[in-house]
Amino acid sequence: MTPTPVPPPVAEALLRLSVRDAEWRDAVAGDLREELAAVAAARGPEAATRWYWRQAVPLACRFAISRIVPAWRPARRRLAVADVEQTSTLGAGWSREVRHAWRALAQRPGLSGVIVGTLAVALAANAVIFSLADALYLRPFRFPDVNQLLLVSSDTSLDAPYLDRESVAPADFRDWRLTATTVSAMAAAEFWDPNLSGVDVPEQLPGFRVTPGFFELLGATPVAGRTFTEAEGRAEAGRVAVISHAAWQRRFGGDPGIVGRTIRLEGEPYEVVGVMPPRFAIPYGADVWAPLALADAAWADRTGGNLMVFGRIAAGHSLDDAREELRAIAARQAAEHPATNRARGVTVMSFARGLGDEAIGPFLVIWQGAALLLLLVACANIANLLLARATERQPEIDIRLALGAGRARLVLQLLIEGACLATLGVAAGAGLALLAMRTARDILPASVVRFVPGYEYLRLDVTALGVMAALGAVATIAFALVPALQATQRAGGQHLARGTRAATASSGRQWMRSALAGAQVALSLALIIAAALIVGGVRRAADGAMGFDKQQLMTAELTLAERPYATEAARRRFVATALDRLAGEPGVTVAAAASSLPYATGYATRPFEAEGAVVTDARQEARTTDFVRVTPGYFDAMRIPLLAGRDLTAGDGPDAPAIAVVSRTLAERCFGGADPLGRRFRLAPDGPWITITGVVDDVIQDWISGQRRPTVYRPMAQDPTLRVTLLARTAVTPAMLASGMRRAVAAADADQPILLLRPMTAVVSDRLAGLDYFANVLTVMSGIAIILALTGMYSLMTYLAARRAREMGVRLALGATPGQVTWLGVSRALAITGGGLAAGAVLAAALGRAMQTALFGLVEPEATVITGAIVGLAVIALAAGYLPARRAAGRDPWQALRTE
Amino acid sequence: MKPTPYVGEFEYSVLLAVLHMDGGDDAYAVPVRALLEARTGRPVARGALYTALERLEGKGCLRSRMGDPTAERGGKARRYFSVTPLGVRALKAMHASLSNLSRGLEALLEEP
Repeated sequence: MTPTPVPPPVAEALLRLSVRDAEWRDAVAGDLREELAAVAAARGPEAATRWYWRQAVPLACRFAISRIVPAWRPARRRLAVADVEQTSTLGAGWSREVRHAWRALAQRPGLSGVIVGTLAVALAANAVIFSLADALYLRPFRFPDVNQLLLVSSDTSLDAPYLDRESVAPADFRDWRLTATTVSAMAAAEFWDPNLSGVDVPEQLPGFRVTPGFFELLGATPVAGRTFTEAEGRAEAGRVAVISHAAWQRRFGGDPGIVGRTIRLEGEPYEVVGVMPPRFAIPYGADVWAPLALADAAWADRTGGNLMVFGRIAAGHSLDDAREELRAIAARQAAEHPATNRARGVTVMSFARGLGDEAIGPFLVIWQGAALLLLLVACANIANLLLARATERQPEIDIRLALGAGRARLVLQLLIEGACLATLGVAAGAGLALLAMRTARDILPASVVRFVPGYEYLRLDVTALGVMAALGAVATIAFALVPALQATQRAGGQHLARGTRAATASSGRQWMRSALAGAQVALSLALIIAAALIVGGVRRAADGAMGFDKQQLMTAELTLAERPYATEAARRRFVATALDRLAGEPGVTVAAAASSLPYATGYATRPFEAEGAVVTDARQEARTTDFVRVTPGYFDAMRIPLLAGRDLTAGDGPDAPAIAVVSRTLAERCFGGADPLGRRFRLAPDGPWITITGVVDDVIQDWISGQRRPTVYRPMAQDPTLRVTLLARTAVTPAMLASGMRRAVAAADADQPILLLRPMTAVVSDRLAGLDYFANVLTVMSGIAIILALTGMYSLMTYLAARRAREMGVRLALGATPGQVTWLGVSRALAITGGGLAAGAVLAAALGRAMQTALFGLVEPEATVITGAIVGLAVIALAAGYLPARRAAGRDPWQALRTE
Repeated sequence: MKPTPYVGEFEYSVLLAVLHMDGGDDAYAVPVRALLEARTGRPVARGALYTALERLEGKGCLRSRMGDPTAERGGKARRYFSVTPLGVRALKAMHASLSNLSRGLEALLEEP
């Protein structure tokens, strides 16, 4: 038997090398050996060897090609594209370009998703905030010619922290109306919150007494009935009222016969003569209006007043003209009536500015600023991601250029890709914005809504969304174009010179990406610190030192009707009876009453003049003080400590000497450290002298300033008011006293409605609800910014780690420890984070200072907050850098080398 | 049901050849090629046959198993093929389409 012939080893090795699949390799080699034996037997060993070579080489070639072809596939696809590159013209095949772009985006769903999501979130945040600002601050009133309307107030002192809009004396108003030529019409309004009775549930309606012509001035016409006639503006005229659309629906069930019907206001019959259109609730959410009917004597009163004055600028004049003329008139009045008008100036402002909530302005500016920061962070994030994508696609673009693709076509293609991303982002952003707007509307606390003009206009501003969308789209498209622009800068021969394997980004682009990531960290830090400072401020306002104990207190706010309580004796009787009954309720430890509560609305201020103080310049020396009337037991109930002198007692009645307890700040500020006890002061130029008998600690009256304002507490028995707040300190849960409060009020007057019945904690939280809302929105925005910044950092680090996988593999193979390789990535993250934090700290410092000024001391820079924000952001940013680096270092070095 | 794959002219021939050997010890590349050359009278490139076998397996028309290694083959095993039901369907489809096309031409085509 012939020995089994052996094939030429080189030929067989070649064959075996070319066949990739092991089974096939064996089968093919075996088949050839099998036939080799037959050939050798027939033609001899040498011929067999030649035969083997002739069979093996073509087979090896065939298998080798099929082995390489799969790897060639992208190249073949590009060759196919090259066909298109050269034959098609710019205008042709738009749909193909768009399809191609969608495919390119779909190839990297994660990256495209993050870009679209980032854009959507930033757009939605900006559009929502802008819509809020527009509705609540920029254009809260939308009726014809609102820009022609103005508001005039008298100022009595320079250091009043807020504008006193209800400050005009009737005689002053009459002078203005008669003499001003730059103002074509003027109307006055006066607070008048009447109790609606004669219905099943009595209620206090927010309302105003207005001069006839008020509605005409504002360009408002009733939907039913009429407004007031000139005759009804006279004191002897009958009682008529106009009601709001809301009140008509809510209280009278939309009764079509309401005009001509008689309703009971303040216990008096009023004939309803008109119903205003929906949404008309000027000023301050008014539900009912009655004529301001003053007697001639009252119209001549110059000593003081609480009229709000509206005007319409005459044709051909501006707000400045009106301001100038009214100031000149005020100066003349001061000269003619020095006794009353000497210290009185005039403030003229536009209607929107005058009636808008001025406090809301700074908040919305900060909101808008935060939203812009967020948009910047988002743009940096998108730019960063697109640059990463650009580096990745550089080889593809190089090859296409080398194959003869026109530059215009390449740019066009990337432009379309950018446009596709932007389209998706804007669409998602619009949806998100609608959703967010609805949420923002719904969670706006009702207590805020009532006092916010413009709430009814709160909806997504399409123009704003459009502007934001354009901004985001431009950013996206611009950064999508970067690879095309960079590629076309290089000379033709260099395109492929770098090859496709060593695709590490140029140092310039890496620098840019690092700068973008750093900028994100910086902007987020600024946003976090801003949010943290405001949240801290809100927390301080809600839980910090208030000077009183808000726990275990129940309150009932009410306003006595004018006519039944026209006399002081009647008011005193009401308070005494109600408190008597309240003190007897189970669980009540102390019962007291006050004209207003800290943190509630409706506190009064008065000019303050200490006896013996030399007044050189009235306008500069004039001081104001908060003014509260309280009953004995008030300080006890509120737990406001008495520092000196004596508390008020039941003996401080109407016939006893006029006395007052003052706050510590007033004592310090107005008596310069001297003992204030026994000193005298007065609260009106011709008012009675009041002796100070005690000093109590400060109370924070106002949530926004947190300042300790000077306060005068007068015995309620000596100066009873229509506005009464009953309060009871209790050993039980305050809410359980609700029925006790009702019983106490009913015992004093069965017809008397309670305006607000709530625990003191609710008084505080209701007052802070708007601020709370504001802080929450800001917190959400800074949270989004942090997520965006971390996404940016993480994607940058992941990308860098992937790009350096070969380098890391080589380092690991040469003996570097994983720790050292991890450090490579972390050190980069450290540098970026450090730079970003440094820049962010500078930005945050500037922002903090601006907020401190804008928010009247609500915000205090706290070292712990700032340090905490910096450390926290640093830790999570480094974690975002560390994870990808460690993952890269943990890989098998051979795998890293092979996968490149 | 999987759609019947389309087989080309050469694949059609390979399938028929494998079917002839089906189940037997000769259903591997060497005898299949010999049969093809004998019946068609044309030389068949080894590489072309291997490619066709691989592609038919990929289409699901063939399946293969490895036999035992033999000394005759230098310790290498044979790769035996058999036609799958899907392969039979492909054959039938091709056969039907060819017969349909040639109907009416029998006189010309079957002329010696």
